[in-house]
Amino acid sequence: MIRLLVLLPLLLVACQAVPYAPSRMTEYAGAYGSDLVWEGNVTMTGDVLILQGGSLTIRAGTEVHVVPAEGTQIDPEYFSSLTELLVRGRLRIEGTAERPVRFVIVERPELEAIAWAGITLDAAGASLIRHAVIPRSETGVRCVGSAPEIIASRIENCRYGIIAQAGSHAKILDNHITGGEGGVFVWRGSNPYLKGNRIDGNEEEGVFVDATSRPYLDRNLVTGNAIGLALWSRDLPYDDVEVKGNAEDLRWLGTGQ
Amino acid sequence: MMRSLLCLCLLFFAATSTSAAEPLVYRGEQTLWQDTVWDGEVLIDGILTVAPGVTLEIRPGSTVRFTRNDSNGDGIGEHELFSQGTLHAVGTPQRPIRFTSAEASPRRSDWGALNMMMAETDNRLEHCIVEYAYRGFHAHFASAVLRDCLLRANQRGAQFQESRVVIERCRIIDNSNGVQFRDSVVELRDSHIARNQWGVRCVYSTLKLSGCLVEDNLINGVNAREGTVAVSGNRIVANRRGLYLQKSRGTVAGNDLSGNSEHGIFLEEGNIEITGNRLAGNGRAGVRWVNAGGLLKGNALPGNGEYALINDGAGPVDARGNWWGDVPPELIAVAVRDAADRAGMGPVDTREALQKPSPWVTPVTGTSY
Repeated sequence: MIRLLVLLPLLLVACQAVPYAPSRMTEYAGAYGSDLVWEGNVTMTGDVLILQGGSLTIRAGTEVHVVPAEGTQIDPEYFSSLTELLVRGRLRIEGTAERPVRFVIVERPELEAIAWAGITLDAAGASLIRHAVIPRSETGVRCVGSAPEIIASRIENCRYGIIAQAGSHAKILDNHITGGEGGVFVWRGSNPYLKGNRIDGNEEEGVFVDATSRPYLDRNLVTGNAIGLALWSRDLPYDDVEVKGNAEDLRWLGTGQ
Repeated sequence: MMRSLLCLCLLFFAATSTSAAEPLVYRGEQTLWQDTVWDGEVLIDGILTVAPGVTLEIRPGSTVRFTRNDSNGDGIGEHELFSQGTLHAVGTPQRPIRFTSAEASPRRSDWGALNMMMAETDNRLEHCIVEYAYRGFHAHFASAVLRDCLLRANQRGAQFQESRVVIERCRIIDNSNGVQFRDSVVELRDSHIARNQWGVRCVYSTLKLSGCLVEDNLINGVNAREGTVAVSGNRIVANRRGLYLQKSRGTVAGNDLSGNSEHGIFLEEGNIEITGNRLAGNGRAGVRWVNAGGLLKGNALPGNGEYALINDGAGPVDARGNWWGDVPPELIAVAVRDAADRAGMGPVDTREALQKPSPWVTPVTGTSY
């Protein structure tokens, strides 16, 4: 009886203190409408769509292995022929400086330099991408009508680093965007805040801003690109102190009308 | 006797016509095995098949609603119309036919599609509104004409393969993707394709695109891969990329390809004759040319962002006889990026530059909606 009395509270405590157990599933492809948590090693075996109302949280230290699409999909499910992470719900990438979240390409022979589509936030809810490492995608992060915080991430060797379009007012802070065709593109009524980013070594533009957008360009180091800043509006305020060492630091586009 | 006859007639009429108050309801999986006419409200709470050889006629002013049923949680409703026969949905401007969601708060992908499978007869949708579907119009091995239709708020406005489709005077707007097809022969004319991610996307197809307004699409206005295209008299404006042709051949003539965020035209391989177009005010370049054959002649390329023309391929580009804007001849080279600017790129021949643009008339585009 005494033994039972001792065991019962222990049993009760054990039942209540079951630690959070993430899904044992580690391979993902398809559409998800629930609240998904990735940690440890997970694999995107195909396109992943987070539906409106759903969420994806990626814990610090996670490695997301991306399996590039076989051949070229001629009838892609979503936007790209390449493997893509498309978010219409919410995305939280919770990396830290010590334990970033890494997207890792699953290599195979004859894989092209651009190996996957990247992350698209399509009218997504409140989202965070912090301390992520995103390599070799068509676009590191594409924001469509979305306003995520993209912080302290490294976007490397992507064709387009970050695209903000269709009224995307993202906070893009302290990232390193390097080695792609272009760094940051701001199109179609988008007003992101870019501060403290290092944008370097891109074959074309460091930052491109169209006539309809008014980002706030604040203390970004833009260097080693073909064109540092390509800006349409002549009255766009920007801090050019650290826009240097590009083949051409500033290009005014069009007539400025 | 007369009264009895009158009552009998009334009874018969009541029994055979669809009441406006009570919709005709199809639940579960059902098949129409004989020619059927819908006139009024119809509710499809399942998958309704039109058998081969059977014609479903839908009268003007009818509304067909589909309930939402997402059994596997992938965000795509499965209830739909699956036709292996013939669909005649011919509305009028005043009394269009509506295919829509039955949900109180409808959204994209509430229901599946108007599916045409192996339906190579005379399928016609005229003055129809198709909304909140996964694929508004969907066809395999089918033949169809869509006229004066509005396809909106679908995941894909229209998608088909191995089909012959004419889309005329339609509005395909606010879908995730507008029109997507492969291995098909398509005439797309006098239509408005706007505010999708991809406006038109096709592979291995023959596309004749004319008189269309393609605008505000967020990835590409028009993309053709490994196809044959004839693109004439369109306005393809204010998209991210205007016209993106990969390994395709054909002609691009008399279009307005202006104000696109990246390029008015982006060519990758293939062989295209580009003549008599206006390519103005595009963000990165009027034309980006990568290892394609063909020529660029008689076009106006003023006021583009970084360059009028970029040759990013190793081969030469024949760009004689264009108007480059009000710039002195010696500055045309500044508007062109080629071998002179980057090692490994081919040269661009800009001789015989026009002193003024060819007479230009903005293409007339439009729809009845």
